Parts: sequence; C-alpha cells; structure tokens
Amino acid sequence: MSTQTTDKPRFEIKAPRNLSERISWLRDYYFEGVNRKWNNEYISYTTGTDWDFQYNELSFYIVPETYFYIPTFRSSFKQLARPVTLHDDFWKWSLPERRAWFLKEVLLKYHPKEILPGDLLAGARFNVMASHCLNQKEAKAYDKMIYGKKGARAAMLWFHNHGYGNTGATSGHLVPGYARVIEHGWKAIHADIQAHYDALPPAQQKDKKGAQLRAMLTASTLARDLAAEYQALLVSLAHAEQDPMRKTELEQMAHNLSRVPWEPAETFWQAVQSLWLTHMLVIADECYPGPGVSFGRIDQYLNPFWERSLAEGMQREFGKEILKCFWVHCNTAYDAMIQTGGNQGITAGYGQLLTLSGAGKSGADMTNDLTFAMLEVIDEMTPILEPKPNVRLHRGTPDDLLTKVVDMISSSQGAPFLLNFDERSMAGMMLEARKAGVEHLIHAENVHEYAPVGCLENTMVGNDRSGTVDDNLNLLKAVELTLTGGYDLNPVVDALSGKAEKPRRDGENSGDPASFTTWEQFWEAYALQTRYIIRKSVETYERSEEIRAKYFQTPYVSCLVKGCAESGKDINEGGAELGFVTIEGVTFATTVDSLLAVKYLVFDQAICTMNQLVQALRDNWVGHEKLQAIALYKAPKYGRDEDDADAMARQVMALWTEETWKHKTASTGRQFRPGMLSWNYWIAYSDILAASPDGRAKGKFLSNALCPSNGADINGPTANTNSVGKAMGGKSPDGNGDWQEYLSMLPNGGSHTITFNPSILRDPEHKEKFKAYLRGYIENGGSALQINMLNADMLRDAQLHPEDYRHLLVRVTGYNAYFTAIGKELQDEIIARESHQM
Amino acid sequence: MSSENVSTRGTILHLQRLSTEDGPGIRTTVFFKGCTLRCEWCHNPESLSRHRQVQWLANRCIGCASCVAACEVHSLTLTVEGIVRDRGLCVTCGRCVEACPSGAMEMLGKEVSAAELTAELLKDRAYFEKSGGGVTLSGGEPTLQPAFCAALMDALHAEGVHVALDTCGLSAPGVFSELAAKADLILFDLKLMNPDEHKRWTGADNSRILRNLEIARDFVSRSGGAKRLWIRTPLIPGATTAPDNLAGISAYLGASFDGSVERWELCAFNNLCRDKYERLGMRWTFAETELLTAQQLTQMGEWARSGGFDPSRTFVTGAAKAS
Repeated sequence: MSTQTTDKPRFEIKAPRNLSERISWLRDYYFEGVNRKWNNEYISYTTGTDWDFQYNELSFYIVPETYFYIPTFRSSFKQLARPVTLHDDFWKWSLPERRAWFLKEVLLKYHPKEILPGDLLAGARFNVMASHCLNQKEAKAYDKMIYGKKGARAAMLWFHNHGYGNTGATSGHLVPGYARVIEHGWKAIHADIQAHYDALPPAQQKDKKGAQLRAMLTASTLARDLAAEYQALLVSLAHAEQDPMRKTELEQMAHNLSRVPWEPAETFWQAVQSLWLTHMLVIADECYPGPGVSFGRIDQYLNPFWERSLAEGMQREFGKEILKCFWVHCNTAYDAMIQTGGNQGITAGYGQLLTLSGAGKSGADMTNDLTFAMLEVIDEMTPILEPKPNVRLHRGTPDDLLTKVVDMISSSQGAPFLLNFDERSMAGMMLEARKAGVEHLIHAENVHEYAPVGCLENTMVGNDRSGTVDDNLNLLKAVELTLTGGYDLNPVVDALSGKAEKPRRDGENSGDPASFTTWEQFWEAYALQTRYIIRKSVETYERSEEIRAKYFQTPYVSCLVKGCAESGKDINEGGAELGFVTIEGVTFATTVDSLLAVKYLVFDQAICTMNQLVQALRDNWVGHEKLQAIALYKAPKYGRDEDDADAMARQVMALWTEETWKHKTASTGRQFRPGMLSWNYWIAYSDILAASPDGRAKGKFLSNALCPSNGADINGPTANTNSVGKAMGGKSPDGNGDWQEYLSMLPNGGSHTITFNPSILRDPEHKEKFKAYLRGYIENGGSALQINMLNADMLRDAQLHPEDYRHLLVRVTGYNAYFTAIGKELQDEIIARESHQM
Repeated sequence: MSSENVSTRGTILHLQRLSTEDGPGIRTTVFFKGCTLRCEWCHNPESLSRHRQVQWLANRCIGCASCVAACEVHSLTLTVEGIVRDRGLCVTCGRCVEACPSGAMEMLGKEVSAAELTAELLKDRAYFEKSGGGVTLSGGEPTLQPAFCAALMDALHAEGVHVALDTCGLSAPGVFSELAAKADLILFDLKLMNPDEHKRWTGADNSRILRNLEIARDFVSRSGGAKRLWIRTPLIPGATTAPDNLAGISAYLGASFDGSVERWELCAFNNLCRDKYERLGMRWTFAETELLTAQQLTQMGEWARSGGFDPSRTFVTGAAKAS
C-alpha cells in the first residue's frame, strides 16, 4: 500500500512490522481490494425454479442502511444465480435436507477452490448465496409472512420509522463448538448425530426430527469432503511446484487435509487448518459474511497443540506465520460484496471475535505462551480489522500481560483489541442462569468458560445462541410516550408522499403528564411505557423469528451447537441448549438524563411546567434556548460519579432489564435477556427520535451504549468508569454478589468507550499508572472497555489530508473503521468527543 | 478525630481526578483557593485570592442576559463583546451564576466541609490502591487554610489514603510543622535561590520558605522512609531558567538534602492558562511567552544536573514547543 503524497504525514501511524515476505504479500494483496484478480465475492446459486431466491433479508432487518436496497439485493442475487443440477429426489426431501444437500453440492462441485500464493491454509472462497431451496408452496407462504399486511417487513419498518429501534432474526453471533472439532474431529460429531438418529423410534425418524437429523448428517460430512477436494488440489500444486521449500509446504498442507477436520488434529498447523475450514463453512451455511461468528477462547483450546508442536520442533515464528495466514483468511470474509460497495468491505469490522487470556476455575489465570504469541501477531499485523481480539482481564491478570496490553495500546492508535472484564461479566452470566432457570448449564464451576461474540456480547460456548444483535430498542422512546400519554411527539411523515400520519395512541394511556403533581407519578407512567416498548419489540421480533424457524434452517451450524442433535431441532428452531434473544438497550444515558431533566425542571426546581417542556420538545427547542441550556448544563447527568444521578441510571436499568426477563419467543421458546450494545444506532436514530428533555435537539447524537452522553462526563475517566459500574449493578453491600461481590444486570454486557489522550502513555511511569487504572476498572467498571487513544489535532489533520491517513483506525462501540473512510458527520463527532487528559 | 474537625469548612476550586502529575500513582488533586505568594507566572490565577470570584466564559454564553437581569447591583452589561462586569460594583453574591442557564457564569471557589470532601475523594479509592496513589492537596496554598487542611488530612488518613501536600513553602513555621508532620509526601516548590529575585518575581523573599524546607527535610529524615520529599521548580523563561539559579538550587539541595529529597522535578512552562487571566480581568506577564524548546529543556536539565544534586533524581517534565 502506498500513499500518493510526497509530504511526510505530521503524525506517525502504526505500521505493520516483522512480516515475512509471504505475509507481507498476502496482506498487501488483500488491501488491493477491488483491484484484486482473486476475491471471495458472493456467488449466487439457484434451484432453477421461478420462485427461488437467495437473499435472507431477515438477517438485515437490524441494518437500517440496507432497508432501501432489500428488494434490489433479492432480485440481483436471483438474476445472477447459477443453476445447480438437482438430485432426482430433491423435491421429495424435507427443507433442511434440501438445504444441507444443496450447500454441499455447491461447495464441492460448483464453487471455485484456490490456494493463494504462499498461503499455509486451505479454504479460500466461502461467500456463497445459496438458494433457500423452498418449493412453490413454501415460497408462497414465506412471501406472505414477509410481505403481507401483517408481514415481518411492514412490522419491522413501522418499528423503525416510529423510532422504537429495529429487530430481526439475525445470523452469526455465536461461538460454535470449534474446540470439539479440533480435538475429536467431525467424525465424532457425525457419529453422535447418527447415534441420535438411530435412537429415534421409526415414526419419529419419518417426521420432522428425523429429517433434521438426516440433514445434519449430510452437513456433518461437508467439511470432510471439501477437505478432500482441497487436498487433491494441493497434491497437484505440489507436483507442479519448482521451489523445494514451497513444495514441502504444499505437501504438508495436503497431508494436513488428509487428516483434518474429519480426524482429531495432531499438530498446531492441523488444528488451525481444522478450525479455519470449519469456521468458514459456518459463514457459508448462513450465507452471511462473518458477523459475529466468533472463535471463543482460542488461546486455550489451541494451546495444547501449540505446546506439542513447539516441543516437536516447530519454530515459534513459524507458528505465528500460520496464525498470520489465519488472520488474512478471516479478512477475506469482507469480500462478500466488494464490487458493490467499493472497498466498503474492508473499511469496517464484522466481528469474528477471538478471546485471549482470562480467568479459569477458581479465578486462576489462564494466560499462556500462545496468548502472547497471538498478541504479537496482532501487534505485527495491525492495522488490520479481523479477527477482532478481545483480551479478558480479571483480578488475577498477571502483570506481564497487562504490560503487553498497555504497550500495544500505546503503540497503536488506540487499543487494537477490546478489553473484557471477567468478574462483572461472570456476575451477569450467573444472573442469567438464575433468571432463565439454566443453572445446570451455567454455574460457578463453568461460568469462566464464557466468551464474547461480535463486539463484546457475552455468551456461553458451543451451546448458546443469544441473538445478541437481534433486538435493538431505543429506551428513550418510552420517555417520549410518557410525555404525550402514548402518542408520537411528532407525527411520522412519509418520505415519498410527504404526508403526516394521523395521531394515534400506540403506547399506553399513561395519563396526561401535565396532571402529574409528583415525580413518582411521572416515573410510574414511564414504567408503563417501558413495559409497552419492550412488549412491542418482542412482538415485532417474533415475526421474523417464526419465519426463520420455519424456512431457514442451517443444519451445518446446528452440528456445531450442543442441543440441536439432542433435540432434533435446528439451531434456528431453538435447538441450542441455551437459547436467548438479547434486547440491546440503546440510548441509555440520553434516557436517564432525560428523566433527570424532567425531574429537575418540572418537579424539583419548577423551572417550567410540563406543558412548557413538551412544547419546547415539539418545537425542537427552537425559541426555548434558555430552557434547553438549563436542561443541558444545569440538570444533573449520568456519568459524573454523582450518586443521585447514578441512582436514576440504576433505577432505569433495573426497570427495563426486569421487564425483559418476562418474555420468551412464542415460536422457539427463547428467553429474552438484556444487554447494551449500540452499534451505530445512536447515530442512526438521532434523526428519527424527537428532541429529548435532556436538552438534545432532534438530529443531535444519542448516547452510545453504556457511555455517558457526549460531553457529560466532566469529571474524567475514573468518574465515568465508576458511573458505568454503578449503572450495571455495582457491588453487593454485603459482599454476596452474583460473582464474588459483583453484580451485573446485563448478562450480555455493555459497551463502554473512553477516549484518552496519547500523552497518558508517554513514559514507563505513566504506563504503570495506566495499568493501575485498568486494575481499578476491574474493580469499579463495566464488563467491556474500548480504549481510544487519539488526538483531536491528528484527526483534524486527517480530515484535511485524508490521503496521509488511509490506515488510521478508529473504534466506535467495538466497531472498527478507517477514519478517512467514514462520513464527515461521524468524523466531527469523534473529534468533538472529549479527549481525556490524564 | 473529633466531629468538630470533620465539620471544618474550607474553600476549594475544584478536584482533578485521575491526576498523574502530582505525586506517585493515580491521584485526585484538591485545588485550595488562596495563596501566600504572588508569582508572576502563576498558572492558576483563580487560586490566588482567598475569596470567591465570578468568571464569565464566552464560549458557553447564549446571550440571554439572564445574569444582567439578576444582578441587584447593576454590575453587568451585555455588550457586543459579551458580558462586561464592573468589578467595582460586583459583590460576588452569585445571583448571576444561579441565573445563568448555560454555565457561562461560573463561581470560582466553593465551600465544603472536610467530611463532604473526604467522601467525594474516596470515590477513587480503588485507583489509589491499585496505583500506590492517593490525594494531593494543592492550590493555591493548602497551608493558608490550616484547620481545614489538617482536618482533611486526618480524615483521609483515617481511611488509609496516602496524602501529599503540594506547598509553596510560605507559611508560619508552626502551621507548616503541624501540616508537614501529617503529610506522607511533601511536594515543595523551590523557585529561586536569590532572595531578591525571589521577592521580585513572587512578592516575598525566600528566607521563610527555606526554613520551612528544612523543617520538611527533618520530618522526612526522621521518618525512616515513611515520608517522602519532592522538590519542584517551575521552568519560567527569563525568571527561573538562568543557569546559576538551576545550578544554585542543585547545589543547595546537594549540600544538605541529598538523603532526604527523593526527586527533583523541573516543570516546563506552559501557556494554557492564558485565557484564565483574560477571564479574570488580569494581566499576565507571560501572555506572549513561547513554550521552551526541547533543546532548551535538555540544556536546563544539564545545568540542574551539574550543581551537586543527584542527577538520577533530577527530572524535567512537561511539554516542549512543537518543532
């Protein structure tokens, strides 16, 4: 990669280092993006029927930016689809059997297979858009459920347009049981499914359960048969290879594939090969390019192979070389729509998350040499987007790991990983066990095995789908409905016709707020509306959950998730042992600050009447600037470590999380659970949600995840941290929390970002202080922290001279982006965000 | 400690949490209001007066003139340049601050009890403990409010919190002794060795300051390592940066403080306080002074290390002018 400028950039940007010729080539080639001859772009495949389609729009209901394009995507994938010659009995099979067979047929016989120059891992193309394999009757029923007047799409759009948020049954976002494949091979999984099938009474073999298990049997040999295809390719490449070094590598790769992933891995190289092939087929099965399909505690389950291979003579650097190839492979997921979106794919992270270090049984620390080797790989490959690393810290984290973490933060433009905090996270998982009645699956002996997916969403591993991005709810909507007694504050205007909707009471009739004489009355009305918006989100989600359960099975993924074989149910039918849907509460601080402002302005200080406040909001504060200033600057705010304000935060948290636990999906029986990840919705909904009592005008950004509102955290990072910890639940006064003394109302965890000025890491003495800050965060903070390390001057310079800063990475809620590739609006926002000076 | 003590009240400006520049570890620095010296370069002019002051921040003002209406002595006028205050009329009653919706009118100085302040400071106890940090009392001059300062130190010690006293050294020896005896770390400012120069730049000569420094030293040497003493010298261009001053301080410290001074910090001049002077209607001698260059800072470090004090305990801190 070269920049086209002759001027030296004013600031140095982290550059990759210590890369071999092989890795430099692969990495540079990857960054050529659209100019590459080879890529991993979607190829679409069809059964050839008129009614066939590929695009699973349900997975994109949570991405408002794509709503406009849904029909286009569906029709273009259909038009471009290559026909697959079907098995004679194809239409006699059940739907999951058709899907399993179709995917396997496509990957074995149609989808191209290549080995990139120098690559040490096989498995390059996996982005397929496979047919949904519906027959005519199924397709008709499917379309009715989607497009009908009461269909999923209309419900989803209503939910979005009215500012409630977005919700849809989304793919990915789980940790499949990869360790089992590596340690026991696919053959063990195959045998297990066969045993479950054989154990079914004949009548059940003929019905739904039998069909699902037969589909999984087909899927469970996919990786084996694909490995054989790659092995044959490698044998012929080795045969033709002139360079003796490369020839040996190709032969070894062929040998690896003769064993894994069907058989247990014997070496580190085989283990990584097994992992990669198994992983990429998850993406293929869901036809979904990577988001949130996460690796879990990779430094734990790969470590026995790492140690064994090192003992048998593998050079440590060669082990890292294998990992670096793995890194490059993960990034190719983003080629999925590379021609459509230019380099869009390689400007934003998708969240194939891997987890390093963390606590083991009884709080023992699990850091090992592979933890450090992987951190070195990250350090040497950075900047690069995938896989996204998450380092787990806890009270027992060793000093040398923390030193490495802080050194890497100081040499990158912010942490090249997320930090997860075990004690707070495990408290949340233990709460989940109790609330959902799954203490036999999550308990004190195994809770440390949890791992985050996507960005920071904590789940269990290999038996858990927690739908961590499937239901994104703007908590602020309940405040709006309280202020109007159940109406939208401003009517929704149709974008095409310009017509405003007639006022309708969608929410609860919680009373005329002007008649409230006490704050408690307002709170009760707010609680009523909060219950309503949660119920509404659950109902809206159900539309797509039901469709997915009926018409979009993923038998391959189901093989990798415990509970599916046992129950004979697909993961999308609720087959996983642990099935949750996470409501991610969005706009938390804006909601808390709005309630604080109502209390302050109307009830405590009587600065204005309720009607005056509501009028100011209807007018978007125009003509009410003085009241707006009081709301912004004088009303209390969450995030300052002020106990009264933080108590309100905790009260809001308790209300909405308790309400969330009351719901399950009707079609699949999955339990709703609370979390706080905002992705970019705090920006997306700023133009949809009306002005709020905290002084925010419509169009101004909402608050991000658990973070205080922008500019509100005037007491610095420790105060900010303390507030976040308190809002999540703090510590139990009697010392008996859900994990040690810790409490957390968010089993999913919550996203917390703090931006620091790089000067805080300027010398070894300050690095020690920063390490101590992180240890303090373990005690007082939340479940996950993203550290941004930037400097406003540098960012302004990057705005003026984007060509000099092509590789400057910024991180927004666990979402990575190249700064110069994002819109000016967001750039300005990042610059405006308070940059804390220590 | 008696309940009488914790109810002792004092005037502070504000708290700086996660401070990494005022002693070991992560600290919260308490800025006391009021100072015994009048250094011309002072970086915290709002801390000089013992009394409350009101300042107006232009960038926060929305021009609503609520303050003008609220002022009972008619000291405020809204002009094209913003709010103008007639300081002769203003009685610092704070009505304008209350009336201001946007926080543009700010009261400098708030009265708190030692107990209230201690509760606030303990919020960062976790970070203090993990870093070997604590609380630093700074200002202004903490010893100018001796009863409050003592009560606060006692209350913090009762909670096991490490306390540093950041002092300019000018206070009555009895007062200084009492407070220095309580401090775990004394951050002692030593600006100029020449008494006339000292008087010229700070308004007082340094004889009492040097005597107090000896008192501090004696406490530290007798404590068997439990107490520590750091010396801090601001590097102010044209005032403290002469080679003979820096070498002179070094010689002075080297002659009789070598075993007791753990660290000598030379803190580079910065100009971030320029706006503060403007807001307070004060003139600043150093308004146009540029930052020291990295080269100058290195040179000054060399002078300081050549005078006799242990060079390995001599540090130059702060930002240099961008090259």
